[in-house]
Amino acid sequence: MENIQITKELHVCMGLNTCKYQGYSGTNNCAGMGDCSTVNHPCHTLNECRGQGGCGLFGTTEEFCFPSQNNCRYQGSCGAPILNSRFIAQGPNKGLSVWQLARKRFEEKRSASNLPFGAPPAGPYGPSNEYINQLKNQPADTDNSSCGQSGSRSCSYIADPAERAKAAYARVLTMEEKSAAEMNETLKTCPPRVY
Amino acid sequence: MNPGKLFKMPTAVNPSNFEEVMQQAIALELATIPTYLSTYYSINRAQNQDTLYSKLQQQLGAATGNAELDINSLAQELKVDILVYANKAAALIMSVAIEEMLHLALASNVKQAIVSPPDLLGISKSLVFPTQLDGHEPEFPINAAKLSLQQLSTFLQIESPDPFVDPADTPETDNSVEKYKTIGQLYNAIINCIQNNFPGPYAASPQLLPPQKSAPPRPYYSQNSINTVYYDRNHNPVFGSADDSGELIGVTDAATAVAAINEIQHQGEGNTSLDHDTLKFDANNMPIPLPVVNGEVQFKAGDYDDGSKKELSHFDKFLEMYSLGVYYQEKFAKINGLDDFFSYFVYTQESNPKQADYDQYGTQALSLCSQLGNAIFTYILLMIETCYYKDEATQFDVFMYGIHKSMIWLLSGVGNTINSYTYYKNFQAYTAALTFEYFPFENTPGKTPKQQILSLVDQLAAADPDNWSWLTDPKYAGYWPALPDVRLDHTVIPDMPVIPA
Repeated sequence: MENIQITKELHVCMGLNTCKYQGYSGTNNCAGMGDCSTVNHPCHTLNECRGQGGCGLFGTTEEFCFPSQNNCRYQGSCGAPILNSRFIAQGPNKGLSVWQLARKRFEEKRSASNLPFGAPPAGPYGPSNEYINQLKNQPADTDNSSCGQSGSRSCSYIADPAERAKAAYARVLTMEEKSAAEMNETLKTCPPRVY
Repeated sequence: MNPGKLFKMPTAVNPSNFEEVMQQAIALELATIPTYLSTYYSINRAQNQDTLYSKLQQQLGAATGNAELDINSLAQELKVDILVYANKAAALIMSVAIEEMLHLALASNVKQAIVSPPDLLGISKSLVFPTQLDGHEPEFPINAAKLSLQQLSTFLQIESPDPFVDPADTPETDNSVEKYKTIGQLYNAIINCIQNNFPGPYAASPQLLPPQKSAPPRPYYSQNSINTVYYDRNHNPVFGSADDSGELIGVTDAATAVAAINEIQHQGEGNTSLDHDTLKFDANNMPIPLPVVNGEVQFKAGDYDDGSKKELSHFDKFLEMYSLGVYYQEKFAKINGLDDFFSYFVYTQESNPKQADYDQYGTQALSLCSQLGNAIFTYILLMIETCYYKDEATQFDVFMYGIHKSMIWLLSGVGNTINSYTYYKNFQAYTAALTFEYFPFENTPGKTPKQQILSLVDQLAAADPDNWSWLTDPKYAGYWPALPDVRLDHTVIPDMPVIPA
């Protein structure tokens, strides 16, 4: 793992921190306003701690319904950070946004405990690859996705690279808007936790 | 019985040979996994599209007779043909391999409930490629081989829902074996034996079970992962398996045993009571493909294995890839300057590669890499076998920290990297591949299977630091060092895995 300061809360993505100053940069004023994950791990079974499974690409339907809420080390269902383009690969919500569901679960937990939370800094749909590269001062072509052996969601087969990027952006946006519109249905179709 | 066959089958299924027959059924399911994975790893499913486009553009431009063509748009069309087919073939093969792992567990649950635990290491010791399905009529060789129409033909014969006649096959001549023409017929004989002789309820014993309310966590089976996803021509994701196509089944009596076996049959062969496609061969002894209309293969109701008709059976997934493969191979052959369709995305893998060939070739890193692949494959089987001796808490640890990690990361890590090595045999260059041979772990005190695996890891990292130095980097201790410690006597060392400081 990289970029871990041991005094920081470990969480899997932008907008999923539970405390002030606990985002990647440590400048956030409130829970839910952290700018990026404080852990990076590539995938399923490779997380070091409780609550670090990013979800979406390898795991069960139930795990995918509760992203970043794994109970133990190595039980995480997928890598962190969770990009806005990552979609759920299994279960009734296949093809919908992982980050939005993770954020919804985070908000549910905060609300259940009457704890405040703020708006996520990269917007309501999760962090893009470009956002993370800018935040971390990484080269623009750094790929922050994880687990992918099946090509990238933020891609297309168009020949011209500029048009390709535009088409990919539009496709991800469509998925983000659909995921937001169907969030209530997503929560209904998710099976309850059995453990 | 020819050498290379998995087991010698008795002439009928009855209570006295039921244990042996179930072991044979498990062997059939297990044998398909390395067969399909060998082909899966031969596919370059996510190559650089711009490099591929340039290559096609250059080939089309350099060939005579293409002056009238719009080279750029044709290169684009062909590029998408290749990328989508390669990714789809890999995703569908992986979706079948995952369901074969489910079948392995279902057959093992049946054997465990009625007679005894599965002996997976015993099967692995006997499994040598090329192999054959003992008692299958007609006989045909099963190779661990790269993706090709011939290999897809073999897959179709394995999964065929109906008896078939291939003029190239040898008639089964051994009268000492139970003759069957499809795997489904073998399972029907097993079902009859269970219903007539083993009504249950059976004594409780460790099995791999489905998730249940108020039960310990059992996240053992999931149909889809990112590896079963492919993208259509518009780059929209398509999922290889439907959610309602199957799940683990705990076997407690004849009804649940039959349900488990029915699930194996339906996923493999589809719904044979409905109108479905069958395996027929042409004069060249190759399967007759289905017609392709607007890039789509047309199927019948009985070709699906799920109620919602969203997932084709194993047979029909392979029939789809075979039919599309024929279609694209013919399309590419008609255009001047192009190579064979499959050559654009399939590595030049030898059929049935052997560790001995790698050892003889003399590249130490290749030899060690292959040994590590065989060791982790054998260890996966040991871990699955161990689940049938342990309580649920231990099963969970072994499965989550061992089997999942090994399948998704460790075996695939080796499988996807070993192809960076080239070796020569009989003056022919080949891309190296996993050999899926049994790894003979030493059974000596102080030398556990896990320690032997970690020793190979250390040796490989030292032999080829460019590719493998990360293996011993403490940053990646969650990979190999974090494997659970499972012994050959099925002992699991408590509180494992332990990450080194």
